[in-house]
Parts: sequence; structure tokens; C-alpha cells
Amino acid sequence: MRPIPSFSLHRPKTLSEALELLQALEDARPIAGGTDLLVLLRDGAVSAKHLIDLGGVHELQYIREENDEIRIGAATTHAQLLRSELIAEKTPLLHEAAASIGSVQIRNRGTLGGNLCNASPAADTAPPLLALNAEAAVASTGGTRIIPLGDLFAGPKMNSLRPGELLTEIRFPTPPAGSGTSFQKLGRRRGLTLAVINVAVYLCLEGGVCREARIALGAVAATPIRMPAAEEMLEGRQLSGELIEAAASACRDQVRPIDDIRASAEYRREMAYVLTRRALMDAWERARRDTL
Amino acid sequence: MIELWDGASMEYDKILENLLGRDDYLVVGHSVVRTDALEKALGRARFTADYIPKGTAVVKVVRSSQPHARIKVDVKAALGVPGVLAVLTAADVPGHNQIGYALPDQPFLNGEKVHYIGDPIALVCAEKEYAAAEAVDAVEVEYDPLPASFTLDAALQPDAEPIHEGGNVAVTTRIRKGDAERGFSAAEVEVEDTYETPYQEHMYLEPEAAYAVPEGAGKVTVVGTMQSPFLVREKVAHVLGWNLSQVRIIQALTGGAFGGKDDMGPLVCAKAALAAVKLGRPAALVFDRDESVAYTPKRFPARIRYRSGADGEGRITAVEVDITVDCGAYANRAPFWLWRMTAHAAGPYEVENASVDGRAVYTNKVFGGSFRGFGDVAIHFAAESQVDRLAEELGMDPVEFRLRNVLRPGSRTTCDQLLDHSVGMEECLRGAAEAAGWKRGRELGRKGSRVRGVGVGCAYHGISTSRSTPDWSAASLILNQDGSFTYRTGICELGQGSPVGHAKIVAEIIGAPLSSIRIEVPDTDSTPNAKPTHGSRGLMLGGTAAADAALKLRQRMISVAAEMLGCPEADVDLREGRAFNRQDPSEEVSFAELAEELYVRGVSPAAYGFYTSPRRFYDPETGLGVNYSVYTFAASVVEVEVDTETGQVDVVKVWPAMDVGRAIDPLMIEGQIHGAVSQGIGFTLMERLVVEDGLVLNPNFKDYVVPSALDTPEVAETIIVEEPYRHSAFGAKGVGEPAIISIVPAIANAIHNATGLRFNTLPITAERLYAALRRRKP
Repeated sequence: MRPIPSFSLHRPKTLSEALELLQALEDARPIAGGTDLLVLLRDGAVSAKHLIDLGGVHELQYIREENDEIRIGAATTHAQLLRSELIAEKTPLLHEAAASIGSVQIRNRGTLGGNLCNASPAADTAPPLLALNAEAAVASTGGTRIIPLGDLFAGPKMNSLRPGELLTEIRFPTPPAGSGTSFQKLGRRRGLTLAVINVAVYLCLEGGVCREARIALGAVAATPIRMPAAEEMLEGRQLSGELIEAAASACRDQVRPIDDIRASAEYRREMAYVLTRRALMDAWERARRDTL
Repeated sequence: MIELWDGASMEYDKILENLLGRDDYLVVGHSVVRTDALEKALGRARFTADYIPKGTAVVKVVRSSQPHARIKVDVKAALGVPGVLAVLTAADVPGHNQIGYALPDQPFLNGEKVHYIGDPIALVCAEKEYAAAEAVDAVEVEYDPLPASFTLDAALQPDAEPIHEGGNVAVTTRIRKGDAERGFSAAEVEVEDTYETPYQEHMYLEPEAAYAVPEGAGKVTVVGTMQSPFLVREKVAHVLGWNLSQVRIIQALTGGAFGGKDDMGPLVCAKAALAAVKLGRPAALVFDRDESVAYTPKRFPARIRYRSGADGEGRITAVEVDITVDCGAYANRAPFWLWRMTAHAAGPYEVENASVDGRAVYTNKVFGGSFRGFGDVAIHFAAESQVDRLAEELGMDPVEFRLRNVLRPGSRTTCDQLLDHSVGMEECLRGAAEAAGWKRGRELGRKGSRVRGVGVGCAYHGISTSRSTPDWSAASLILNQDGSFTYRTGICELGQGSPVGHAKIVAEIIGAPLSSIRIEVPDTDSTPNAKPTHGSRGLMLGGTAAADAALKLRQRMISVAAEMLGCPEADVDLREGRAFNRQDPSEEVSFAELAEELYVRGVSPAAYGFYTSPRRFYDPETGLGVNYSVYTFAASVVEVEVDTETGQVDVVKVWPAMDVGRAIDPLMIEGQIHGAVSQGIGFTLMERLVVEDGLVLNPNFKDYVVPSALDTPEVAETIIVEEPYRHSAFGAKGVGEPAIISIVPAIANAIHNATGLRFNTLPITAERLYAALRRRKP
């Protein structure tokens, strides 16, 4: 193991300052909690001459609801998500996912934006946000663009941000009455664990009929992904155990997992079925409760 | 008077009645708040790395990137790196470069040949980490590769490249008791299978570390994380070519050890010491996590072929066991490890006919070493699986079957050792089974995809070292002028609390408040040699030396107090830091007054305690004899819930029982049990070191998965069985290692009970269990 190669640390106080530094400095990278980046730097998997610490950019730390939309600043920590009553009440899906990340110490440091930009296929916040139809606000000195969250993921540990760009906000519609969600994660132990696979499901019911279904899985492909084929099987239909099993089977067929040190591709494929079925059953149950 | 307290003649378990004249103990047997708890909880306790000041030379190890090769080393380029102070190779070792623990197979620095990926080749000393890292890369090692063996079968091929002179079998063992074949012919049922257990990494929170300071000419002080300061001293002196008195070793508080620091303490301290002496300035070596996991010893993997038979009455008639231990690159402790497995091969059962063969085999992988349980985890996993199978074949309840075979007072072990006392196996097993509601427990059944099961495991573990290895311990106790005490022991604090146990023994004997007894850190320049803190001997051996010192000092204190109080010695009692007349407790002197008087009268206020185990012997031809002076016995019942859709196993609850001889501190016993349950769950269900062509692929907490707090089950209050051992202080026996042994087979047996699947190979990961469940489906 090597000591972390030396770098210059910059600590901007505002977003515009951060964007300017990012634009101006050569070989610069933003750093939020550092829970992923410092490890990558030490392992030599990434290199940077300049690190721009977003920890002092307080305008990137917020959780609020505006016009039936929940907006979360990219530098919001997992611990802040976990403590937020708004998140717990309106999007338990994200609350549960945040609760499953790392340990207290890691949740105190790690941020939502960092978790997403790190673009791990196993990132625990990615499937819930995909299932919540989240969008990402991406800023640069030239302005801000809004992209569907899925477009942020370019491949394993690769995001689609262009040089000089920063993820600044995640936003998604507040789940309406009649909706139900579920987060399921399979790890090699119960706490402090990387997902072997993770699944998030969002269902919205209308009189027993599934009006909308969104299913997202992590650690089963190069990026966290939605499962459109399975979603279509459910939408507009009266839900049943059989239908849910069929949709979960469709997920098993759609995933493209790999073998790695944590699990085999075959096991992940089978678990994609098991966890999706459990998530759908759980979300269905919660949606029905929400409708009552 | 003093002769009376000689270890061999004193029945230490009778101290209470015969000597102290008390109805009950003051501190022994009662849980206390450990005297070191607050400092540790507040983060104030100092570990080795906390002692290293800025400006200390940084030492880094240059390691082999090849599993097996002849090498040529060129350090010129490395010496040219700015900030580099020295690059030391085998040629720079002033004393002896051979540092093998049991066999002379392990160079301290490898100059000619490397045996595994990570083998140390050179030491880089530099001003800063960066320069050291650069210089490590700049050391040119020319490799001339040799064929490498990564499996037992490959290493045992007749044409396999020998890893060390003399071939790839490092050592063999055997036991022949009775007539195994005759035993099998008397058997009604027979079961046979092969069991395999993997590496287990200790994953202590504190990685290996040492800080060395040269003290003028011909002396060096080393502060390090270790289990045996005097072994460290021996090895440092050996490498430097110095006398023992020229080396001073201080054990800093050790952040977890589990056996690993017993092996690594000497190796790391000797490297730091060599650097400090060569440089003439302080030097420190602190391992990274990757280094600690990839290159330092782990639990030896083993393969065990096991055949056993039982008659219609449920008596085991014979066992035939063939053990192969995978040493990795060096034998290290394999001869002792293998012998322990051999001696305990039948499990805690009386078996008249036993045939056991063992061999330890070299491979080109990271070497094995000491780890809690020391071979007994693997052998009990096999033995206890076999016992469950025999019971199943006979249609008997596994607890009932075990009860028909367990060792009892008067039984003889596989080595034909007579166990005349302190044999609490039956009580442990009955206790754990009863607490768990054994019969009812076995009808737990299924809930959706989740199915529950219960399993039982028994264990015994010989305390301290085996066969004829001399076994003794020493301690010192000083009564200071103010009535406080200074206690010194070479037994190390590793988190387990043995030295606090010693202090309790001292407090009990001399009637001092526990808080008035200061335990000094082990320092070989002032601490008596207590031999290593391993083999669960710290409390039993070390504590008995403490008792010896305390008894000597007590006698002097009583004799002076009697004169001060003007009463017969027999009437003097010591308690709460004062001496008083039992007939008239208002007549008293404080320990401060008493101490002053000792000093004034010229009565020595310091006592040196020494204890030696009763003599043991054994016949190398048959393996028979007296192996361990005493055994600790344990049983566990475990309830698991298996998710049949994912293969995940949830250990729901554990009911532990242990015959500890005498509980010096029930809370510390609970602590050992809780830690062992977690470590046992890790070994059985999740810990998996991935080694590909000799390269460790997961040397980190991210992918070498150990149980988290959330994986820890409910642990019922430990059933403490007390069958005192005659030759230890208050009858106490060791606890640390026995705690883990029965957990492992109990979990595996519970999984079998839940699913009908029996696993002969560990760990039983969710994925493996899932695959096995799927294969079984029609």
C-alpha cells in the first residue's frame, strides 16, 4: 500500500467559486465526503493534482419540498438524509436506502452527490432515486442543465459529467397518495455491507390497478438500471402474486451481472428475481395501506 | 512457611478455605469494572503507533511479488532515492538470519529464494513515507521462477518442487490407541467423510507495529504490539547477535491479537530494532491493513479425513483420522498446531480405539500461524459433524448420543491421559441443552421461506502448551510505602483482561482494594518472564504466579501486622486495605502504616512469584502420555434461521456453557464468549480469503467480510460450570480459546437440522447454501 500521492486542497465557500476552480485548475477533482475518492487515490485508481473540497459549500446542503417536488442538495450527507423528517415521511424508500449505507461514521461523511457521482453499480442510493424518477441538476460556469438521473451513470465507476461540471441537486416528484415503495438489499453480512445486489420499487395504485410501476436494480449491470420490461408487465393491470412473480422473472432475464469477489453472476441473477419479488410484494402491500 | 506455597504441593483451589479463612470471596467470582476500561473507552489508552514521535525513521518492507523463485537483489537505485537512509538485506543482519519458530525454515530477510508472494526481501529506511514507498519500488529484485504449489495435492506430488530442503512435508504426527480396526468391527454404524477448513484472518483492529530506539552502544528498546515480550526479546537478540540483556522490550497495549501477534510481534519488532541499530536513530515499522491481511499468518487451513464408528448402544467404538495441515510457505507453529489437532482428534469423548495421523505440508502461499482455538476449531468441526452423523445413523438424539460418550472424571483421552478431576463436560452439555429447551427447540419448523433449526457442539481444549514443553510463569508484587501495590507480569493485555484477572487474584489474597493495585505494562527489563500469552494460559499460569507472589507477601504482612496488633498471626485478617484482629476488628492498621513498618523492620515488601505446571510426558511413537495439564470444556447450542430463497443464515440465539474451573470474573468470561460467538460466526458463515496463484485478492475490510454488530445474535447468559483445577489459583482454567471451538460445529449442525444439508467445507456462505438447496430440488 502506498501513501496517498500529494495534492493541493482547495476549500471554496460558494458554488460559483467551486465551479471556477474546477474550470481553471488542471487535473482537478471535486471531493465531498471522500469515502470513495480517498480510497481510489490511495489505490492509484484515480489521480488528481487538485482536490476541490465541497464541504464548505453550504448552499449544496439542503433538503426541501417545493411544488410537489423534493429537492436535495448534492453535498447533503447520508446522515442528514436519515435525520430528515421530510424524507422519512414522504420518501421512506430513500430513508431506508440511506440507513443501509456503511456505518455511522461513513454516513456522517458520505454525501448523496458523492454516492451518485462515484457511479458504483452497487451504490445504495441509486436504485431508489431511479425508482423515484429523479433528475440531476448539473452545473458549470456556463450554466445548469437538468438530466434524467440514469444519464449520469456512464459505466462502472464512470459518470457522464463533462470537465468543469458539478452535480448540484437531485430532484424528484413527491410520491403521491396511493403509492408504495420498498428497498431490498442483499449483502454478505447485515451491517456495514456493500450490496451484492439491491432493488428499489415504486408502485402507484388506483383502485387496485397499478397505474405506475418503477423497478430499479443495482449491482446487476454496468450501471444501476431500470427494468422497463417488468414495469410494463405491471402497469395498467390488477396486481396479483402471479403477476408479480412474472415481473420478477422478467428482471432475472433482463439483468446482466458479472462474477466478482462478492458473488457470482448466476447468484446475482437469481437474487434479482428473489429481491424484486420481495420488493414488489412489500411495495404493493404498502401502497394498499396508503390507499386506505 | 514459604515452602508450603510451592506450586507443586499447594492445592490452589483450596486457598479460600485453608488459607484465607473466609466464607466468601471478596472479588474472585464477582464481576468488576475492569481497571483499564475507562481509558480504553475514552480513547486515552496508548497503543504502539501512539508512541512514535515525528522525525522517527520510517521502515518499509520490500516483499516478493513471486510465489516461488530464486532471487538476486540490487539496492543501488533504491539508495539513490532522496530521503532514503538505508536499505537492509540479509547481508546486513549482524546476528542470525534464520528465524523459524519451530523449524529452521524461515529467513528473517530472504536473500536467495522467496517462498510466497509477500516474503520479506529487504527493509527500506527513509525520512518520510513517500521516500520509503519510492525506494521500495526502486529495489531491483531479479526473479528466477521455480514451479509453485498452491494446493496440498500439488505440494504432495512426488515431483513437486521442494519449497524447503527436505521436501514439502514439514512434520508428521501419530496416535495409536487400542486397535482401531477391532473398534470398527464392533461398530453397528460407520460414517466417513472429508472436511476442509479455510484460512481465517485475525482482522485485529490494530495492525502490526513496532517502534525501536537505540540506547547508546549495545542496547535497544522496542515498543511493540505483541503477545510474548520475552519471545520478542529472544528473537530481536538473535537477529542482532546480542545478549538478551542488551534488548529491552515493552509491550504497548495491544489492539487485538488472537494469536497473530504471537507470531508477528517478534518479526516486526526485530525489523524495527535492526533498522534502529543500523541507523543509530529511532525507527518505526507500522503495517498497512493490506500488508497485515495479505502477508501475515492466518489460521492454518486443514483437510481432515474422518472415519468413525459406534455400536448399537450409542458408544463410539473407534475413530480413524487423517489430518493434513496447509502450512503455507513456512512451518511456523504448524508442529504444535498439528499436534493439538492430533491429540484432540476424537473430540471431548472417551474413545478406546483411535488411530490418528497428521502431516503439515508446505505450499507457496501466505503461511499459517497461531489463531484462537489453535487447530481445535477445525478438528472439532470435523469431530462434531461426525458425532451428529453417527447419532443420525443410529436414530438417536444428538445430545443423548454425546452424553453417552463424553469425557468424565476417570475417563481417558485419545492420548490415554487419565482425567482425574476438573472434567465438567457433561454438566456443560446438559446445562446448554436444558437452557435452550433442546427437545422443544428441535421442532421449530418453517415460516414462509425461512426455516429454523438448532444444533449442538461440544469442545475441549488443553490449556497452555503440550507434551513435555516446560511450562512456568512468574510475577512480581511490591507493596509501596503508601500501601499501594505495583504488580508486574509478562502476561500481556490483548483486550482479554488476563492481567486484571491477576490483580483480582492478588486483591483476594492480600485483601487490597483492586484500585490500589497498579498493573505495569510488560517491560523485559523489569518484568518477570511469564512466558507467552497464548494457549489460554494467561490467567491460569500467570494468575497462579501472581497468587504465589501474593501469598508470600501476605505472610510477611500478616506476620508484621500480628506484632503491631499484638495478636496471634492466625487472628489477623487482611481486607479493604487494612489488617485487623478478627477477634476485635476495631484493632486495625492501614496498609500504609503496615507498609511503613515492613520497610522500617527490613522485611522485604517485594515478592517474586513463580509457578510451574505439573510435569507432563509423552511417547512420540504412540502419541500417548500426559499432554496438557488440564482441559477446559465447553458446549454450545445454536439456533439458526435459514432463508431458503437467498441462502442467508441468521444465527438467532446461542446458549453457551463452559467449565472454567473457577470464574475469576464472570463478566470477562461473557466478554470472551461474545467475542468468540462473533468470530465463530465469521469463520463458519462468511470469512473467505481469496487466494489466486498465491496472491491474496481481498486484503481489506471491504471484501474480507467479518461479522458486524448486526450479525451478532442474542447470547444467553453463559452457564458457568466450576470444576476447579487443583494446581491453579482458585482452580481457574483458561477461557479465551475454548470459547470459539464449540460454536463452529454447532452452527453447521443447526444448518443441517434446518435444511437437511451437511456442509463439510467452510465457510457456508449464502451463495453456497443457496446453490446446495437448488441442487437438491427435484
